[in-house]
Amino acid sequence: MLVMNNISKVFQTADVQTHALRDFNLTVNEGEFVSVTGPSGSGKTTFLNIAGLLETYSSGEFTLDGEDIGKLNDTGRSRMRNHKIGFIFQSFNLIPDLNLYDNVDVPLRYRGFNAKERKRRIEENLARVGLASRMKHLPSQLSGGQQQRVAIARALATDPRFLLADEPTGNLDSEMAQGVMTLLEEINQQGTTIIMVTHDAQLAQRSPRTIQVMDGRVSELELHLATANQQAIA
Amino acid sequence: MFSYYLRLAWISILRHWGLSLLMICAIGLGIGATMTTITVNYLMSANPIPHKSEQLFYVQLDSWDVNEPYDDGLNPPVQLTYTDSTNLMKANKAFRQNVQAQAYGVIEPADKDLLPISVTARANSADFFAMFDVPFIFGTAWSEQADIGKEQVIVLSKKINDQVFGGENSVGRTIKFDNNIFKVMGVIDLWQPKPLFYDISTGAFNESEDVFVPFSLIAEEKIRRSGNTNCWKPSGDGMAAFLAGECVWTQFWVELNSEQEKQDYMTFLNAYVEEQKQYGRFERPLDNRLSNVMQWLEQQEVVADDARMMMAMSLMFLTVCLLNTIGLLLAKFLGKAPEIGLRQALGASKATLFSQYIIESACIGLAGGLLGLGLSFLGLIGIENLYGEYMQGLATLDLTMMVLAIVLALVCTVLAGLYPTWRACNISPAQQLKSQ
Amino acid sequence: MLETGLIIRALMRNKIGALLIALQIALTMTIIVNAIFMIQDRQTKMQRNSGIDEDNTFYLTNTIFGQDYNIQAALHTDLDTLRKTPGVIDAIQINAIPLSGGGWSSGVQTEMGENKDAIGTAIYMVDDHAINAMGLELIAGENFSATDIQWRKSGQSTWPSKVIVTKALALSLYPDDWHTALGKTIYISQNQSIEIIGILKALQAPWNGWDGVERSMLVPFQMESKGSRLFIRTEPGKRDLLIPQIEKALAESDKGRIIRRLRTMEETRERSYQRHNATNKILTTVVITLTIITGFGIVGLAIFSINRRTKQIGTRRALGATRGQIMRYFMMENLLISGVGIFIGCIGAVGLNMWLVKTFQLSPINIELILFGIIALFIVGQIAVLYPARKASLISPATATRTV
Repeated sequence: MLVMNNISKVFQTADVQTHALRDFNLTVNEGEFVSVTGPSGSGKTTFLNIAGLLETYSSGEFTLDGEDIGKLNDTGRSRMRNHKIGFIFQSFNLIPDLNLYDNVDVPLRYRGFNAKERKRRIEENLARVGLASRMKHLPSQLSGGQQQRVAIARALATDPRFLLADEPTGNLDSEMAQGVMTLLEEINQQGTTIIMVTHDAQLAQRSPRTIQVMDGRVSELELHLATANQQAIA
Repeated sequence: MFSYYLRLAWISILRHWGLSLLMICAIGLGIGATMTTITVNYLMSANPIPHKSEQLFYVQLDSWDVNEPYDDGLNPPVQLTYTDSTNLMKANKAFRQNVQAQAYGVIEPADKDLLPISVTARANSADFFAMFDVPFIFGTAWSEQADIGKEQVIVLSKKINDQVFGGENSVGRTIKFDNNIFKVMGVIDLWQPKPLFYDISTGAFNESEDVFVPFSLIAEEKIRRSGNTNCWKPSGDGMAAFLAGECVWTQFWVELNSEQEKQDYMTFLNAYVEEQKQYGRFERPLDNRLSNVMQWLEQQEVVADDARMMMAMSLMFLTVCLLNTIGLLLAKFLGKAPEIGLRQALGASKATLFSQYIIESACIGLAGGLLGLGLSFLGLIGIENLYGEYMQGLATLDLTMMVLAIVLALVCTVLAGLYPTWRACNISPAQQLKSQ
Repeated sequence: MLETGLIIRALMRNKIGALLIALQIALTMTIIVNAIFMIQDRQTKMQRNSGIDEDNTFYLTNTIFGQDYNIQAALHTDLDTLRKTPGVIDAIQINAIPLSGGGWSSGVQTEMGENKDAIGTAIYMVDDHAINAMGLELIAGENFSATDIQWRKSGQSTWPSKVIVTKALALSLYPDDWHTALGKTIYISQNQSIEIIGILKALQAPWNGWDGVERSMLVPFQMESKGSRLFIRTEPGKRDLLIPQIEKALAESDKGRIIRRLRTMEETRERSYQRHNATNKILTTVVITLTIITGFGIVGLAIFSINRRTKQIGTRRALGATRGQIMRYFMMENLLISGVGIFIGCIGAVGLNMWLVKTFQLSPINIELILFGIIALFIVGQIAVLYPARKASLISPATATRTV
C-alpha cells in the first residue's frame, strides 16, 4: 500500500544542510493502523508531510497505492491527495468562514462530484460523526472535540484509502481524545488504512503497530512494546 | 505614553512598509488632487474686496424686449443702457456711485524714442477709485467736476507710468492718448482684484486696466469704447443715436452703508423705472436688482464650470482613496489580532488600544498629507502650465490652503481609521490566545 | 469547478472588506466612465472643421492713432502691398477671427418685422477676396463682385444687400433643404432685406463654445475704422517666413499705426481649445491614477487576506485543491466582488452623468461607454488579483500541518 525506500529529505538553508529524514524505510499494508511516535524534531512531521504528498522528498522511492509518487507533478499530487488521502490535523484546520456543511464540502468540490452526490456524502459523514443536526453551525460555535469530528467527517467524505492523522488529539482533553480515538478505530475496522502521528505513547499503544522515528530514521518496535524504557535503549 | 504609541506606530509602519506606502500614496494622491481643485475654486470664489463687499452693490434694471426677455426672463440684463446709467448718475441718490465701461486706445509717449503703446482703458466716473479702494502711489483720483466738465484727465497704472515716465511722479504732466492731450491726475500701485469683480462682462479674471479716464468722454468721442454690447432694438446711425438706443454696455455700482440706505435706493430705482415706463420704455415687469459683491459674483457664476466639475471629481477621487485606506487599515489591524489579544492579556485596556491604533492612523495621515501637499504644489504648477494665462494667479497655495491640506489628510485618515480601530479593539483576547 | 456558492458564503462572513473593495470599484467606475465621456465630448468638439486653411493663414491687428489719417487709402495700400508680396496667396481686412473668442453676431430672420424668430449668426465683414484669402469652399451660388463691396462707417446701422452664408446657417433658416436658401431674401435688424448669393461649405464663428458655432455670414463691407484686422493666406510652407517680413514691411510703411498681435490660425485654434486640452489632460491623469490606485488597493487587500488565510489555503491544498484551483478561487472571488462594484458603478455612472447633464449641460452618456467601463474594470480587477492569487497558489500544502 505505502512503500518508502531510502527516502531522504534535506532542507537547504543559506549554507547549512539539515537532514530531516535519512534513508527512511517503511511499508504499510492495506488496512493497517500505524502510530508514528518520536520526540519533537525527530522528523515525524516531515514523514507525515511526505506521506501525505504535502511535501516532496529529496531522494529515494515512494509508491502509494501502486503509484510512483516521484513521477507525479504538483497537479498529480493534488489529485492523489484528493482521491486517496484524508487528513486530520492537530488544530482541526476547519475554514472559519464556512459552516460545517460547507467545510465538509470543500474536498468534494475539488473532486468534482455533482450537487446531489456531494449532499449525500456530506450528510452521511456528518451523521457518522454525530453532528448532522449542527450542519449550519460555524466551527467557532463548536467545542474542540466536535471540531475534530467535523475534520474527520471531511477527511472521510471523499472515501480515502488512507487517513493521515497529525496529533489528532493534541488539542483535546482526554475525554474528547478517547472519543476521537474510538472513532478512528471504527473507521480502521471498516477498512481504511490509518497512519497517526502522535507524541503520546499511551495513545500509540492503542494501535496495532507503532513506529518510532529518531533523528530522521525509523526504529520500528514490535507490537505494543513501545515503552519509555525501550525508547531510552533505542 | 504618547511617545510609546508613536514608536509602536513607527515600528508597525516599517514592518508593513509596502502596505503603509500604499496607504500614504493613496492619501497623498487623494489630498493632492482635492487640494489642487479646492485651491482653484477657492481663489476663483475669493472675496476680492473683503472689507467692503457688503457695501458695494451692482445695479441691474430690466430694460429688455418684452417679447423676447433677456435670459428667458430669469435675470435682468447684465449691463445697463447709457441712458439709464447716466440718469442714475445724475440722480446721485447713493452714498457713492460709479458708471463705467471698457475702452482702449494708443498712448504716444512724448519721448520719440519710445514706440506708441496700445493700452486697455476703463472709462469711469470719479467715485470709482474711492469705492473700490484703489491704491495710489502718486496723486489722487480726479474730481466730480472733472467728470461733469468733461476734462481730459487720466489715471495711469504703475506699468504705464514706468513705461512712459520711467516710474517718476508724473502727476501734473501730460500724455497723448488717442491723439488727445490728457493731464495725469494720479498713478496707482499694482492692483489686480481676483476676480476682477467691478467688471466681469468679458471675463472674471482679466488683467486690470492700463489707464483710467472719465466716462463722460465717451459721448464726446474722445475715447473709444470696447467690451460687450447687446442691443434688442436697432438704433440709428451715429454716436448720438447709439447712446440713446436700447443697447446695454455700461456698468453701474453704488456704495450703500446700511440696510436702510439699500432699501431707500431700491425704492428710488423702482420709482425711476416707473417713471421711464411713461416714455414707453421698460415694458417688462419690474425686476430691479441690487447685488453685493459676493452675490453678484455668485449670480454671474464666476467659478468656471470646469473648476467646479473638477472639484466634484476630485472629492470622489479622495473618497476612493479613503475607501482604499479603510480597507488596508482594516486588513492591517485585523492581521494583528494575535498581538492585540496578547496586549489585552498583558493589561491593555480598550481605550489604550484605541489610542495606539488611532495614532498609527494619524501618522499615516500626516505622511499622506505632506505628500499630498507636495503633489498639490505640482498639480497647481501643472494647471497653470496647461491652462496658460486663464489660470495665472489662480494656482497658488497660501498658508490657509497648506494647513487645510494637512488637516484634511489627518481628519480623513483618522475617520478612515475609526472602523478598523474599533474592530481591532473588539478582538476577543481569549480566542486569540487559545489558538496560539 | 464552480465554487461560487462557497465563495459567496465565505465572503458574507467578511462583508466589510469585500464591500470596501466593491465600493471602491463602483466609485472608480463612476468617475472614469464619466471622465472618458467628457474627454470624448471635448475631442469631438476640437475636431470640428473651421472651414479655413488653418495651416497657411495668419492675421494681425492694425491700430490707427495718427491724426488726419486717410483710412480708406491706407487700407487699399496695405491690401495691395500684401497681395503683391511673393508667397502671399491673398489678404483681406476682416472684423473678427474665427475661434478667437471675440467677434460680432446678429440675428437674421426669414420674415420681416418685429417678434419674428431670428437665428443668431456670426458676422464677418470682408471683401470679394475672402473666399480665396481664408481658403473657404463655395458649394453653391457665387462670390461677391468687386462692386458689391461698400464702406462701413463706425456705428453704421445699415447693411449691404448681398451676403454669403454657411451651409449650417442656410439649414437653420430653411430646415427642409439648405439648397433652397440660395437667392432667398432674409432680414437683418428685423427689417433690412439681404439676399443670399452664395453658400459656403463651412466657416466657424469666433466662439467655440456657442451652439451656433457653425453659423456664419460673410458681409461685403470694408470698415472705415481705426482698429481692424488683416487676414493673410500664404503658399504652403511660407507662412512662418512671411510673418516677420510682413510685420516689418507694414510697420515701416506707415508710422501712424501700430501693427501687433500677429498670430497664426494654428495658434488661434490652440488658444481657443487650450482649456479643453488642459481639462482633457487632467481628466486623463485622473482616469489613469484612479485605475492604478484601485488596482493597487485590490492587490494590497488581496495579499493581506491571503496572508491571513495561509493556513486555510494550505488546508485546501492538503484536501486536494490544485494550484490552478486555488488561483481560480481568488480570481473568482475578485470577479464576484468586482461584479457587485461594477453593478453599483453602473448606477453611479448614470447618476453622476444625470447630475452633470443637469448642472453643466453636458449631453447624456452612451451605452457603449458603460459597457467599456464594465469590461475595463473586470479586466483591471483580474489583472490586479493575478499576483496575489499566484502567491496564494504557491502556498505549500504542508502549511496545514504546521501548528502556528
